[in-house]
Amino acid sequence: MIACDIVLIGVGGQGIVTLGDLIGRAALAANVPVSYVPTKGMAQRGGFVKVEIRLGRETVGPRVPEHGADLVVSMERSEALKGLRFVRPNSRFILYDHVWEPTGVMLGKDDYPSQESVLETMSQALSDVLVLNPDNRPIFDDRPVAANVFTLGAMFSTPILRESIDPRTMESVLLHRWPKASEANLAAFHSGVQEGDATEYGFSQFSGGRKS
Amino acid sequence: MGFALIEKGRDVNKQILTGNQAVALGALRASVKVVTGYPGTPSTGCLTHLLTLDLPDRHVEWSSNEKVAFEIASAAAWAGHRALCTMKMSGLNVAYDALISIAYSGTNGGLVIYVADDPGVSAGMPEQDSRGFALMSQLPMLEPATLAEAYKLTQTAFELSEKTGSPVFVRLTTAVAVGHALVETEEAIAPKEIEPILERDIARYTKAGSKICLDQHQALIDRLNHARRIIHKMGLNRVKLSKEPGGLGIISVGATSTYMNEALALCSRLDASEASSSRVSVLSVRTTIPFPSEEVKQLLGHCETILVLEELEPHVEQAVYVAAQQLGFTGSIIGKLDGTLSPIGEYGVAEVLKGLGACGLSPVASGGKPQAAHNEPQVPNVPAPQESATLILASNAGAGRPPTVVGPNGEPSSTVLSSAAMAAPRPITVCAGCPHRGTYLAIEAAIKQAGFAKDDVMVTGDIGCTILGMNPPFNLIWNEVSMGTSISLAQGYVHAGLKTPVIATMGDSTFFHGGIPGLINAIQHQVPLTLVVMDNGWTSMTGMQVNAGTDDAFQSEGRRVDIEAVIRGLGPDRVEVVDPFDLNATTKALTRCLAEPQGVKVVLAQRECAIQTKRRGIVAEYTTIDPDKCILCKQCLRVTGCPALSVAQDSIAIDASLCNGCGLCTEFCPTGALSNSRAEGGAK
Ligand code: SF4
Ligand code: SF4
Repeated sequence: MIACDIVLIGVGGQGIVTLGDLIGRAALAANVPVSYVPTKGMAQRGGFVKVEIRLGRETVGPRVPEHGADLVVSMERSEALKGLRFVRPNSRFILYDHVWEPTGVMLGKDDYPSQESVLETMSQALSDVLVLNPDNRPIFDDRPVAANVFTLGAMFSTPILRESIDPRTMESVLLHRWPKASEANLAAFHSGVQEGDATEYGFSQFSGGRKS
Repeated sequence: MGFALIEKGRDVNKQILTGNQAVALGALRASVKVVTGYPGTPSTGCLTHLLTLDLPDRHVEWSSNEKVAFEIASAAAWAGHRALCTMKMSGLNVAYDALISIAYSGTNGGLVIYVADDPGVSAGMPEQDSRGFALMSQLPMLEPATLAEAYKLTQTAFELSEKTGSPVFVRLTTAVAVGHALVETEEAIAPKEIEPILERDIARYTKAGSKICLDQHQALIDRLNHARRIIHKMGLNRVKLSKEPGGLGIISVGATSTYMNEALALCSRLDASEASSSRVSVLSVRTTIPFPSEEVKQLLGHCETILVLEELEPHVEQAVYVAAQQLGFTGSIIGKLDGTLSPIGEYGVAEVLKGLGACGLSPVASGGKPQAAHNEPQVPNVPAPQESATLILASNAGAGRPPTVVGPNGEPSSTVLSSAAMAAPRPITVCAGCPHRGTYLAIEAAIKQAGFAKDDVMVTGDIGCTILGMNPPFNLIWNEVSMGTSISLAQGYVHAGLKTPVIATMGDSTFFHGGIPGLINAIQHQVPLTLVVMDNGWTSMTGMQVNAGTDDAFQSEGRRVDIEAVIRGLGPDRVEVVDPFDLNATTKALTRCLAEPQGVKVVLAQRECAIQTKRRGIVAEYTTIDPDKCILCKQCLRVTGCPALSVAQDSIAIDASLCNGCGLCTEFCPTGALSNSRAEGGAK
């Protein structure tokens, strides 16, 4: 049994907690021991959200140790900085490079870190990173596919998660979870896997550079 | 939400549950009859889950506050049934007045109080350690470390309560309460069909006179000792001594036990159980109260050094010092009292490693179990401290030191710490279309219209969503103490001699919970102030629970209490009922109140919580932006801070999936770029 510790980070409203639930369901279906704990502020959206997931360990404390995560995923550029305390140099880090500006930033009262400075900081803690460009999401039914399921797909492009849970198990969970939206979700998932496979890891591709 | 039931045996289900749900299902398995509680993160999910189930022969309710909830549960237990009462740690403060009395009286049926503590503070409110309350009331408190234990120990709590006649606590901490894991559960068992016990015994059920109270005190002590014997026999607090005497003894309390195993495995090439058999002894504590004196005695008699791992206050550690003194233990005790560990915050592997480091154990940086190799944090090895070098379980060979991720003692490096600080601040505000937004804006406008400066007017705050008026862009509310406190604080400021008007704010659930006595006091003593009750019909911040003021349609049994009638019935000098989406009328009503120097004025701002109306698909109005008219002055955003508004390329953009057409932003646009259907229809 492969043990795999995952931390998901983002902003309330991005569907981070749903991702945790989906992975939990997939683990259950795959007979992989799972523990996951969401941390979110209050009922309101727009705040910091985190889910810590621990796969493949029978009895385990719910919190992922600092510098102990195998895979860290941030669905927001600035929030990614809060994920660095979970990484060690060889952790996989996926940044879905969405920018969700808080109101204070929109009003010019607060600073929002540049992509360059975020990646520069990450490069001090990590050996590489996978940056997903939100604009690379394909269109399905006139709209870009769901960002969180797209990101979930990219997570399944990493060997560490694939070894824990078969991507086909994840697909069948997606199918059953929302039968009416199954096509849209599978499209999002598959495009995420492809995008993860096609994108080069590293700190230089500032907008999710693709392998040629 | 539990999901994906897998039939495993005849009546064993394996499912993913939260700790809260595990307690709920444990209580159903223990044939609980009455369940009461008041919402509070992280405990809310327990009773919420029960309310989703069809439980014809049980009574489950959200009560008006924790004290009421506990009193109801207690009487049901006095009458012989099993009863559960749920609350967050702050709720225990409210229930405690009744709780200590009932502790002295004891119980007949099993009476279990489920309380969730929040070390690390995920949800606001003091980081209090509820074990202190169990100590003071001398009630047993079971502290499950995992979700599976939460399910089992909830059942144990009912049995223990009935065997000893004592109410029993079950205490979870946040990560266990809201964490999800696979739990094996069995079929629920229906409550026993019994005739309610009617026992006339003033020596037990009253506090009339010193003889009664002194006897009850003795009985209380006897019950706790009885519980200690039962718990010892059950082996709830497990001791595992190392093969050879000496070495390290680790006492881990509740949730810290799992992290201890993980940290020990990191310090050894062996797994935790093997490691402990060689040089480390372990005591896993599940009851701080009653203190496991027998088990601690065994450990002290066997080990040279004791490490105590417990979150928050050093309750177990202090008792270990006492036991050490009684037994003449001469070794060292590592924990909080020697300064190694902190009483602040949640513990995880890092804190356990810190404790182990002080005892001379350090993580092995590479190697370990092959299949787990990629899981081991590459924390640099801590050089072994002086005295206990014999305790090092594995060599330091092969330690790879990452350059900047962690500091020399495994703490995050300054890069990582400062990087988190680099992230954009993200203060939370009220939701798009929240009625409270209108109330805040109206209060601010009324203060101005009445001729005062915002910084001269005290606006006291309360618990719940209404407190978000403290954050930008409103920056209106000054303080937050406990449920219903705003109205009493306001009176204190008046008596202190403030020359400016004093305003108190609170929500509907808070009003019913603890606000009414304060309002009565203000009216009786004729304290000049204005109370603004922001009535959105739900207990919202904890995730939309029904309260006394919630509409009839959502009251599962019983009916809505008319909050306006309650307020008018108390007889304040002025009552104004307003719709906070009507900024103009709300501002006028508030201005009238502020202009009146005498008497108690109450403004009841009524409009249902935006999240709830949205869930039912009700969109009253549509707000649209004319990009050609927008000059991007951002006034709308600056004033309302509404999350549905954002700055697009050449104009403001409205997120139609969030906007509910409250129309507030349209009031502040200087060019009329924002409009909503109601404004156009001229209904306003
Ligand atoms: S009308 Fe304006 S303030 Fe109200 S919800 Fe819509 S965007 Fe927000
Ligand atoms: S207040 Fe009106 S003009 Fe100014 S940014 Fe908002 S919509 Fe545009």
